Formats: sequence, C-alpha cells, structure tokens
Amino acid sequence: MTTAAETERIAVRPRESVSTRVVGFLGRSPVHIALIVLAGLWLVPTVGLLVTSFRPRPDIASSGWWTAFTNADFTLKNYDLVLNGNHMSSSFVNSALIAIPSTLLPLFIGSMAAYAFSWIRFPFRDTIFLSIVALMVVPVQAAFVPILVEFQDLGEFLTGTKTAITGWYFGIWIAHTVFALPFCIFLLRNFFITLPRDLIEAARVDGASNWKIFRSIVLPLSVPALASFGIFQFLWVWNDLLTALVFIQESDQWPMTIRISQLLSTYGVEYHLLSAGAFLLMAVPLLVFFALQRYFVQGLLAGSVK
Amino acid sequence: MIRRYALAFGAVVLALSLAIAAAACGGSDDGGSEEGTGTVSVLSLWGGSEQEAFQKVLTQFTKETGIKTKYESARDFLPVVRSRLAAGNPPMVAIIPRPGIVADLANQGSLVSLEELGLDPEKINANYSDAWTNLTTVDGTVYGVVAKANSKSVIWYSPADKAVKTTQTWDELQSLTDDLATSSPIKPWSLGAKDSWTLTDWFENVYARTAGPDKYNQLFTGEIPFTDPTVKNALEMMSKMLNDKTVAGGIDGALGTGFVDGIGKVFSANPSAHMYMEGGFVGGITLADVNPNVKPGESIDFYPFVTIDEAQGQPLVGGGDITAAFVNNTDVAKLVEYLASPEAGTIWVSTGAIVSPNKGVTPDAYPNELVKKEAEQITSAETFVFDGSDLLPGALGEDWGTLLQTVLKDPSKVDSQLETFQQQAQDAFAG
Amino acid sequence: MSSGTVAPGTVVAKPPGRRLAALREGGWQALPFLAPALILVFFFLIVPVIWTVLLSVNKTRGLNFGTEWVGLDNYERLLTRDSRFLNRDEFPWSGALVNNIRWLIVYPILCLLLGLITAVLATRVRYEAAFKAIIFVPMAISATAVGVIWLLVYSPDPDIGVVNALVAGAGGEPVSWLGRADLANYAIILAYVWASTGFVMVVLSAALKGISQEVIEAARTDGATEWDIFRRIQFPLLSLPIAVVAVWMIINVIKVFDIVYIMTKGGPGGATRVIAYSYYVETFENGLGGYGASVAVVMLVLIIPVMIWQIRRFRSEAVVS
Repeated sequence: MTTAAETERIAVRPRESVSTRVVGFLGRSPVHIALIVLAGLWLVPTVGLLVTSFRPRPDIASSGWWTAFTNADFTLKNYDLVLNGNHMSSSFVNSALIAIPSTLLPLFIGSMAAYAFSWIRFPFRDTIFLSIVALMVVPVQAAFVPILVEFQDLGEFLTGTKTAITGWYFGIWIAHTVFALPFCIFLLRNFFITLPRDLIEAARVDGASNWKIFRSIVLPLSVPALASFGIFQFLWVWNDLLTALVFIQESDQWPMTIRISQLLSTYGVEYHLLSAGAFLLMAVPLLVFFALQRYFVQGLLAGSVK
Repeated sequence: MIRRYALAFGAVVLALSLAIAAAACGGSDDGGSEEGTGTVSVLSLWGGSEQEAFQKVLTQFTKETGIKTKYESARDFLPVVRSRLAAGNPPMVAIIPRPGIVADLANQGSLVSLEELGLDPEKINANYSDAWTNLTTVDGTVYGVVAKANSKSVIWYSPADKAVKTTQTWDELQSLTDDLATSSPIKPWSLGAKDSWTLTDWFENVYARTAGPDKYNQLFTGEIPFTDPTVKNALEMMSKMLNDKTVAGGIDGALGTGFVDGIGKVFSANPSAHMYMEGGFVGGITLADVNPNVKPGESIDFYPFVTIDEAQGQPLVGGGDITAAFVNNTDVAKLVEYLASPEAGTIWVSTGAIVSPNKGVTPDAYPNELVKKEAEQITSAETFVFDGSDLLPGALGEDWGTLLQTVLKDPSKVDSQLETFQQQAQDAFAG
Repeated sequence: MSSGTVAPGTVVAKPPGRRLAALREGGWQALPFLAPALILVFFFLIVPVIWTVLLSVNKTRGLNFGTEWVGLDNYERLLTRDSRFLNRDEFPWSGALVNNIRWLIVYPILCLLLGLITAVLATRVRYEAAFKAIIFVPMAISATAVGVIWLLVYSPDPDIGVVNALVAGAGGEPVSWLGRADLANYAIILAYVWASTGFVMVVLSAALKGISQEVIEAARTDGATEWDIFRRIQFPLLSLPIAVVAVWMIINVIKVFDIVYIMTKGGPGGATRVIAYSYYVETFENGLGGYGASVAVVMLVLIIPVMIWQIRRFRSEAVVS
C-alpha cells in the first residue's frame, strides 16, 4: 500500500526503515497520548463556549453542548440578541474607543521618556529610572479613589465642570496611560540602549537634535519593541474589567467586559447571551493572536514583570 | 520651540498642583436650585421588564414637561453611585434600593433634600403613610419619595400543582414540607441563595413572627444584639424548614443558584421544586423573563407567609425603593415631583411590574390579579416592618446575608457566626 | 568612564560635581522628553498612592477625606475584627487574606507543574507549534471571558456543565462547584491555571531551547535516560526562568480580581473573597474610603518584596551588560 510519495520520503531517510519508525512512534506513544489529552483538556472549555453560543436557548437549557455534534441545530439568534438587544455592538465600539488611545498614549509618552533615559545624560538619571522600575508593580487599587477626586478637581479647574474628564473617556485614557507608563518606559529603555551607539553619535556630530534622532533613528529601529508593547497594552486594556468599573461612569460608555458582567447578574445565568457576548469579547484578542503571534508572545514575555 | 514647551509644561504643573490643593481642601457646594439642562439622568438597578415599566413613566414625564430623561441601569448599583460621587459625576436622580443607604448618603452630604429642591415635603408626603415616609426622612429632613413598594411575605406556588396546598400556620407548612420531601419526586422548596438577600427575607419573616415587630425593629437598629436567643431560635427554625432534604439541589445547589434561577426551578416548563418564598415582584419577573406561559391564578399564585406565633400575628415584611436626587436643578425637582404623583404611580402599576405605596393610586389601576392581591396585602397589613437587612448600615446588610448562607450550610456554626457578626455590628452602628 | 562615553544603562555612582557638568553638557534637553511621563506619573500615581496611605489613617466621609485622624484603627479592625478579611476564630483560618495565601500556594504550583510538563513534552514532537498554540491561546482571553467559559464548565446542571455531566455519567450526584465554600476557591484557581499555564510553558520552553542540543545528545549516547536528562541537565538550567515566572504569578495572585468578580462575586458566604475584592467591596460597595484604603495599603505592603526583588534583578543585569 506504499504510494510513490511515501516511498520517496522513506528513501530520503535511508537509515530509518518503516519498522524502526513504527517502533520509535510506539516508544514515544505515551508522549503523544499525554499531549493529545492535554490539548483536549485545554480546548474543551473554549469549544464548549463556542458551540453554546450558536445553540438555541431552549436547547442550551435542556441538553449539553456536546450533544450538538450529533444533533446539529445552530442559530445566529444569540449574537443578534446580544448585539442588538443588549447594547453589545455599542460596547464593542466603546472597548475600541477605550483601548486604542490607551495604547497609543503610553507608547508615545513612554518612548520619549525611554529615549531620555537611554541617550541623554542628565542628573539623577539612574535614580529616577530605578524609581520608575519600582512603580511598575504598584497595585492600581492604591490609586483609584485619589485619581477620581483629582479628575473631578482638574476638570473643574480647566473647564468649570467637574465632569469634564470623568464624564467621557478622558479619565480612563489617563488612568491606563499612567498605570502603563512605568512598564512601558522600562521595556523600551531596555531596547533603546541596545541600538548601535555609533549611529546615534554620528547623527549628533552631524548636528541632529535629540528630537530628530529620536524620531528618525531610534523609533524606526525599534519597531519590534514598540509593537510588542503596543500589542501587550492593547490586549491588557481590551481585557480589563476593574479599571473600567472605576473610571467608566456612564452605562452608554461601558466596554464589553462590564456589559458581560451586567448580563451575568441581571437574569441569573443566561448562557445563550453570555456565551455569545464572551465570544465577541474574545474575538479581537484571538484575531490579534493569530495574526501577530510572534509580537504577541514577545509582548507577553516582556510583560512578565508587570 | 523649547521655550514654548517649557511654558506649557509650567502651566500644566501649576494647574495640577492647584487642582490637588483644591481636592485636599475638599469640594465646595454651590447651593441654590439651578436652571435645568433639559435632560435628567436617572440611575437604578432595574433591567429587563422592570426597566421597561419604569421607562413608560419617564416617557410620559417627557411628554408632559418636554424634559428629556436618560435612564441608566447598573446591576451593581452602589459601586456605580459611589465611584461616580467620588468623581463628581453623580446621576441626577437615583432610585435607591435600600433605605439604609439613603441615610448613609444623606449623612455624607451627597443627597439633595426635597426642601432644597424647592418642593414641599408635607405636600408630597401627604400621599404616603408614615411607615413609608419614615424611610425617606433622615434626622427630620426628607430626602426623597418612596418609588415602589413590595411585600416580601409571600409564598409562591402553582395552583395546578396538586401536591401543594395553601397553609395557614408554620406547623402546617412544616408538615407539608416534610410530606413533600418524602413523597414527591421533586423537592418542596426552591432557594435562590446565591443572592443572599433571598435568605435575609426568609429570616425576617420568621423573626418578625416569632420575636414580634418590636424586637424586630430593635434588632435591626442595633438596640438588641444579634446574639439574643430569639435570633438563634429563628435561625434554627429556618434550618428545619430549609435543608438538604427539602431544598432543590440541596443547600450547596441553592448557594449556587441566583434569585431568578430559583424562580425557574418552580415555574419553568421543567420544575424541580414546588414552592418559592420571595417578594411580590416574583410574579412580574416570572411572566416577563422566566416563563411567559404561566397563567396568573392558574399556574402561578401566592398566599401570605404563614403565622408562627398567634400572639405576634402576621406582620408584613415589606421592601421599597426610594427616589432621591443628587443634583439640584429645576428639571430634577420636576421629575421628583412627578414620580411622587398619583398619575405616575398609576402608569407605573398598570405595567404589572410594581405596587405603589401612593394612596392616590386606586386598586383598579393594577392589570392582573397577582399585583392587585399584593397591593391589597400591603395596604391592609395590620403591622408593617421594613426589610431589616436593607435598614442595616454600610456593609452589614451584605454581611448578614453572608452569615445566613454560612449558617444554612452548616447550622452548627450558628453561635460563633453570630458572635463575630455582633462585633462587626457594633463597629458599623458606631459608624 | 569619561563623560559622553558611559555605556548606556550603566548604573554607577557619580561624584556630585558630575551632575552639574551633565546638565551643562545638554542634560536639560532631557526635560521635554521626560516631562509628560514624569508629570503624569507624579500626579496620577505617586501622589495618589501617598494620598491613599493618608486616607487609611483618616476617618473618611464617604470616599473623601474627613478631618479626624484615627491612626491605625482601620488596620486594627481589618486584621483583628473583620472576619471577612481575616478570621482567626477557628481553625483553619479563613477570610480574604487566607484565600490569597491559598491562591499563592496552589496557583503557582499547578501552573509550574503543568507548564513544565507541557514545555518538556512539546519539544519532543513535530506538532510542537500547534500544541503550544492550543495551550497558549487562553492567555489572550480576558479574565471576564475565562470566568464565563468556566461558569459554563462548572454549571451544577449536568445538562449544561461538562464536569457535572461526567460526574453524573459516572453515577455521581452533581456537585455545585462554585456553590460550596470548600470547593469554590479551588474551582476558580483551576480556571485561572488553565488561563496562565500557556505563559509558563512558553517561558520555560524558550529556556529549554537555549540548552545546547549537543550536550543532550552526548548524554544520550552515554546511556542517560530521558528522565536523567531532564533531572540532571534541563531542570537545573531552568531555575532562573522559573524564578521569573514565579514572580509573575505572585504579582498575579496579589492583584487577582476580575475572575472572582465574574465567577462568584466573592461568594458563597464570602468564601472566595480575595484582597482585591475586599478593597472593591469596602471602597465602592460600602463607601468606606478610609477602610478600603487600608486594604489597598495591605496590598501595597505585600507587593513591596516583589518590588525590591525586581530592582535588585534590574541593577545586577544593568551592571553585567
């Protein structure tokens, strides 16, 4: 039963006869079995959610999602309900409105600071930098209430209304930016100092300003680090619930994470809405994961200090 | 470029420093009713059918006054209100689910009284009996109006369910429960104990009927300790009625079941229990959200919570939500006044979602037998006690529910639990 | 070490005179680059943290400052009289703080164990990339979604929850995993382990790949078994990466909130409360600004060892590089 193609493959590895391959496989079969079992265990919960999200509501309550494979009856109604009947579509937009500026702002502000820490010498540079490293792990809870009060007063001072900052997304943008900055500066500075010194010195000799060096040499050479941080931060904010609970005040600005927690407590556990909502929430991170896997993993690896 | 930058930098630092200095000194109130902005925001915890019902009232308000409303629903009502207060962005009007919180917020200076709104408290209170106006009055100042009332002394069952009969006394109910536990394929009781307030309601009914209304009020205002033997007695009676043998899914299952899911165990197409003890609002929620096929009077009905001690009678445990204002302007005043009117009450009760404590709302305004019956129960009650856990200050209400969850699961812990709770109660009542 | 040629990132003490020199040589140019970040961090992170510490020793009015200094009263109440936070009346102790310790033991051990197993096994097969992707994907998902996914898995109804379907299939009574005080913590921890193992696996697997293949081959030809190779060669070289992920997990545990909020809201009977959840309840549910602040300060204190570890690690790395 050996096809030509297989014969060829075997021919390429002359020392490995069919029998030794079979023996080798069997010898390692415990490894294969263990891996397949583990992969199965890891997939089942997510698959369960995905299948549930496409099942009609009465089916979800009366039979397990695993029976859907033999008794297929799928519907998009849950998604329709959750998107149009439960504000999930506007929450999707809100999540993006929160996450995108909350990624770009620290990226911009943090990379500037990181540049100063790596390529400009100034007094107390190392002390300030180490203090920022120390702030990286400060629990955000230790800052919530004072920040809210500061926003109120700053809003009143700048515009005359207390809600100028907290009434819209400004508050959460600033909060996420501040919470991300120490880590962002730390990460980017560690990358910036690995850039070739000669290149930067040469530009200095040619009379380039710091701003020019930053913009036309350091930033273009640092795309991988910027991308890693950007992806990490975007997902962090997209997935965040706690900060949004505190800083997003009005229900028409709720991101998806809050919306889902509300679904959860309104009518007991309504799996048809919850599963569809949760899957919509997961869709963006999953997309990012599969599209930008390398940067994604790097970003998370780097994020291990946060 | 650098100089301009430095200037901007200086300005920002200055602004921030001033803001923080202002914060440290504490905000100031700018008294007096301001002109409204044309829109009033209203926050409450109602979603689904309850929200739709309230929306009808708001729509009528807009039609009559031209003032728009922005309704916001937050299931986590308190955290939303508190974080918004801290940020200087409170909702203009909120429907507060616990009177204990009204006093709390009023004492912190967060609420606007009726007088400050330019309304006449006497005139507004004229439509409500003292039992209700007491809830909105803090140290002599009136801070709002009771939006809706409900009876919490109600046992739900299905008349179509031949195994169940209505009972008059605790002994009858206990023997019915014991019979069902052995003879019926499904359990006598459903409990939505994941939401611990369903347990506090159980306790309150038992306690008010065993220790009496006076002791009840003393207990929940901190005048007698929770270590009083009457408390333990009521808890033991509860455990006899509600345990692994009598509750669907056992106590563990009940602790994993929320309030609405608990209703489903009795009134879904596929019931796993015979009876459910919760407020009058169960009817509305069942019809709208759990099982639209049930028929009031035929497959869903209720009767008053049984008498336990003849001498204590049948005090009615009731709950209520309070409309209060956080912002002082003329639009807000108009909305509060409107919500206190018989007209608003009539529109609201006609949805079947609520019972109004407003005397100006007539019985024929109620759309079905279930709510009409509940309204009668509330207006005809001889003695009325307010939902005790809702009166407890601060975290205590929540903690009391947590204690009931623990004790129901393991009745042997009752003494140590009550002792610890009493310590916390002392802290909380002391403020 | 002459001026202008100091290797970037080198942490060295400089004589004070140098500071002025650095400024004269153009150090002031750093200001526009640093200012936005420093202003934000100072006003919205450093000031708030100090503010919170002050709140915790104040009798507050709602979430705002009161005028009365109460000293350590809040801490005393938190650590001795708040049974939801720390209950030492009966053994075993319970409360949010104890739950965090429970997390601190179970979560890292399970993550490391599973991460190590998956990392070691995955390198031995051709479908390594696909396998790793499967284990890693949950890392991308928000804790909110993880909570929903596992609510479904743990549902007490055997027609909904896959775990109870298996239990019922084996003839057992369905278990209310999240409704039982003795199980709920572990049920949540397991869900979080599911979400985090991928990360541990990736870090450890990267470290394993760094180990020279020749050394391993040489060991094999010398007759070493696979177990010997793991125990004698691979495991010792993994100690640093394991330390790194351990710290990551400790930070995770101290801050854990979202998944508890979604899955149990701290219930049943407060049995699954964690410190971050206590903070949220005391501050935003109960409106006790000062008391909540004292919980936040406890979190801060718990995280300080991690902070010190990180600075140390960073300093040593900087000097080496």
